[in-house]
Amino acid sequence: MATNTPPHGAFRGFGAPQCIFALERHLDKVAATLGLRPDELRRRNFIAKGHATATGQVIAEEVDMPALLDRALRESDYHAKCERFARENAGRHVKRGVGLASFFHGAGFTGSGEQHLASVVGVEATSEGRVRILVSSTEMGQGTNTILAQIAAQMLEVPYEHVDIAPPDTAQVPNSGPTVASRTCMVVGKLVESAALGLKQTLTGVGLLKEGYSTAEFRHACSAYIARHGSLRSYSQYQAPPGIHWDDEKYQGDAYGTFAWAVYVAEVSVDLLTYEARVEDFVAVQEVGRVIHPVLATGQIEGGVAQAIGYTLYEKVAWENGRMANGQMTNYIIPTSMDIPPIRVIFEERPYPYGPMGAKGIGELPMDGPAPAILNAIENATGLSLVSIPATPETLMTTWEGVHA
Amino acid sequence: MRKVPITLTVNGQPRTVSVWPMERLLDVIREQLALTGTKEGCGEGECGACSILFDGQIANSCLIPALQADGSEITTIEGIGCGEELTAVQRAFVECGGAQCGICTPGMIVAAVALLRQNPEPSEADLRQGLAGNLCRCTGYMRIFEAVRSACKEGRLRQ
Repeated sequence: MATNTPPHGAFRGFGAPQCIFALERHLDKVAATLGLRPDELRRRNFIAKGHATATGQVIAEEVDMPALLDRALRESDYHAKCERFARENAGRHVKRGVGLASFFHGAGFTGSGEQHLASVVGVEATSEGRVRILVSSTEMGQGTNTILAQIAAQMLEVPYEHVDIAPPDTAQVPNSGPTVASRTCMVVGKLVESAALGLKQTLTGVGLLKEGYSTAEFRHACSAYIARHGSLRSYSQYQAPPGIHWDDEKYQGDAYGTFAWAVYVAEVSVDLLTYEARVEDFVAVQEVGRVIHPVLATGQIEGGVAQAIGYTLYEKVAWENGRMANGQMTNYIIPTSMDIPPIRVIFEERPYPYGPMGAKGIGELPMDGPAPAILNAIENATGLSLVSIPATPETLMTTWEGVHA
Repeated sequence: MRKVPITLTVNGQPRTVSVWPMERLLDVIREQLALTGTKEGCGEGECGACSILFDGQIANSCLIPALQADGSEITTIEGIGCGEELTAVQRAFVECGGAQCGICTPGMIVAAVALLRQNPEPSEADLRQGLAGNLCRCTGYMRIFEAVRSACKEGRLRQ
């Protein structure tokens, strides 16, 4: 096929932000047509336990979308702002509005992806009682090393400082799969949990360790085991949670073991002199199972929301003769510290039995909701119904002039 | 064209290096002085990853011809705090989750230090303005703001 654009790669959340953008923009149109408030239309149609998804997956977990919605509406003061902005916008050139999006994101590879990968994780101990995690999952700033060490430390009841992560070099570590698909914490972390448990059971099984042991006793047990057997290592391989079925032929069934659920609310201002849209406030409420590390988890959400604000308002890729014409920071505009509103991150915790300590995936979720929430807010503020992003000043001006010519 | 000797003070130490006249100060810092804490991001003065203090002012070292640094005093991230010897701002970045991938972090910390030296009690608006020359793609800035606010608070408690 002839094409004028170079090959594209996957970026955080790929597939989901595109679908959810269309769906959540459309829901606001449906609500307006029916004369319902956007939150009310969603509330009446929320998915819940026992309902089926587009792939025929019957939701088996407890889901409480109305609770997430209530929390998001309350924290953002949504209804009061709707009423106040509608009253104040008349006669002002800076229009304000609020918009929301409700959505979910599956964690781990889709369908039978994780079964095909069959990831393996190892946990080993040294005769000094240090624990070493063997994974090919890569730390790139998202906090993988911290949370995997936390999981192993907790399972083995040793201090966090006694846990090391082997370099992700496949000469040294088994294939725990790629660092993608919001899977590292939930899928790889669960394997770390079970490999660590296996290591502990090895020591208790041979009578070298008894429940309620101290760090010193753990060290002695490791040392004694290694003196006898040469090394102390435990591996764990992925197995699908029970009751998961997927049909690769028909692409139907349980697409994911579980989902993260969210309701986001954006407040925007649109200046009709400069046609600049700004996000003034952002509330992100989500249920991601148990939160293993609150600071890192909050950082994942805030960072994802900021990236999404970037692609919603600023980041326009300009193609010219098969090349990106603005591949520099000078003209490809990403958000600065002046552009990001306060992002208020709220977690509702509902432990997932097949994630480590109850955790689900989190990485991609925050990329999904902001774009439709912001465009819904822009429509709420101005009446302009944008169907594409980024909502640059040029787009807003052209659309406004088209409507008000 | 030939190399020219220049003398500058780097993190408090006098140093003499031979430079090409239009060589970027960033390259002199990273390659000749072997101070690789300073990062190259965009190389065109937009992202702030290469921020240093140049005669006490925050500057993008990718935009400074090395000759212009003759006789100057520069501070890189290594001069702010290194290894176990971290300043309050650096410790706060660790504790508050102010760094993710880490490429912007040295420049961001230099910018935060520059801001706090000028304005030890920055308002929210001052803080955002003070860090506006330093792009971060990972954090969404919230943890960075929190780190700087936390370092300010620690500074107040110490006084």
